[in-house]
Amino acid sequence: MNPFMFKPGNSLLHGLDTRCKVFLVCMVSLSLVNANFPACGILFGVLAFFTKNSGLRIGQTLKHLRYFILFLVFILLSRALTISGDPLVSLHGMTISTQGLYQGSLVALRFFLIMVTGLVFSATTRPSSLKSAAQWYLKPIPLVPEKRVAIMISLALRFLPLLIQQAQETSNAICARCGNLEKNPVKRFVRLTLPLLKKTFLSADHLILAMEARCYCEDRTDPEFKPSGKESIFIVISLTFWFCLLLA
Amino acid sequence: MATKILEINDLTHRYPDGDGGIFDISFSVNKGEFIILAGQNGSGKTTLIRHLNGLFKPAAGTIRLHGQDIFKDLTHTRKTVGMVFQDADTQIVCDTVFDEVAFGPENLNLDRTLVNTKVNTVLDQLNLTELSSRNPATLSGGEKRKLTIAGILAMDPEVIVFDEPFANLDHPGTQSLLALISELNKNGQTIIMATHDVETVMRSASRLLIISRGRLVADGKVTQMIRHLESNGIKPPCTCTMEPSFPPMSMTPPCQ
Repeated sequence: MNPFMFKPGNSLLHGLDTRCKVFLVCMVSLSLVNANFPACGILFGVLAFFTKNSGLRIGQTLKHLRYFILFLVFILLSRALTISGDPLVSLHGMTISTQGLYQGSLVALRFFLIMVTGLVFSATTRPSSLKSAAQWYLKPIPLVPEKRVAIMISLALRFLPLLIQQAQETSNAICARCGNLEKNPVKRFVRLTLPLLKKTFLSADHLILAMEARCYCEDRTDPEFKPSGKESIFIVISLTFWFCLLLA
Repeated sequence: MATKILEINDLTHRYPDGDGGIFDISFSVNKGEFIILAGQNGSGKTTLIRHLNGLFKPAAGTIRLHGQDIFKDLTHTRKTVGMVFQDADTQIVCDTVFDEVAFGPENLNLDRTLVNTKVNTVLDQLNLTELSSRNPATLSGGEKRKLTIAGILAMDPEVIVFDEPFANLDHPGTQSLLALISELNKNGQTIIMATHDVETVMRSASRLLIISRGRLVADGKVTQMIRHLESNGIKPPCTCTMEPSFPPMSMTPPCQ
């Protein structure tokens, strides 16, 4: 199961306009660049509230992020060991400094909060509305074909799992004929990728025909947004928070 | 007198490698007909039907939709002649059932309210309303096939062309899909179905076209054309499912 998969629900974040959510994610990410421990603490509390409110189980979410948390521990340790300062613990010539530990934990916490923000965002946002929001944000930019970009996002979201499934099927077919006994990684790679590429290009050909058959063009109906009416409150709070951090 | 929708005259298509293709095919499609286009694998069924809404350009011959060349207004052609492809997975382009059905009307640049109305009507008609927010990847084979039909119906086509619609479907899925297609035909929709599984669909169809090695070899009522199936490499219907009106019994194999 993919922890970043959309989970249907009726929470505050589920009802929020995707354009607003994209803006909030940007604001949270920007805020975290300079956030100190108290600011991270406040964001942690806010995110914990929305994680629970969105129907995501905190324990399960942490379980999904276990490998990422291990990576954060690695960052913390490397920072603690490499940044010089007042020694806290010294073992076999390696010293963990107070400043290193402080810096390491702050960086790890910021990464963790960004990851949780992304997770809550993707769990409460339909991929289709994400595509629509991207189209809306790209519209004012000259020379960017926003509708084409939106349909590309849509196709990527739709066909990536299908590609993974096809790769798995091809791999199974190779293994069924003892292809797994081949030790040469280049040969193994070629044997997997050639049929997969062939299949992918064929599927792409069929997709083009199917889209043409349904009159695909770039002059399409614009996407629909359904604001919940609470967007302005969220935007004001996030802007205030960001401004406070900027001044601090 | 029946209203002619499509007229195909001396249609020829050759592939660059010289294999396959279709040659000098002529027939017409009347409003409300249910036509089976039967032929063995590689006979040219798919090549032929892909000409009907202008996806392929013929080397020779013409196709007229209500008397007008189909290439004069391709958008109108593709809106009028909807096509359901064999592989549902490569036809579905969006990540929710609702968006998938809306894809066609959105391409026609219809007003958003009209798009939503059309989508909701079609979802309701095909009993897909409860699945509207589902990801198509999580649907069963039969549901995916229904979804592809819904995507076409939302464009209000006059003719729906099916390419092997029963491929990879189990028996209940096949029966449910056949019931849906028959219902559409009873409600006035013109159907053209390319298949080599004539037995499944012959009771619902009004006309049978047999294509062999790229040439149209038989065209007529299902009951009259059925005798030509086996000689053209198509499995004839099982005798036990046939009505006495289907001649000749001696040509069909015994039931297993």
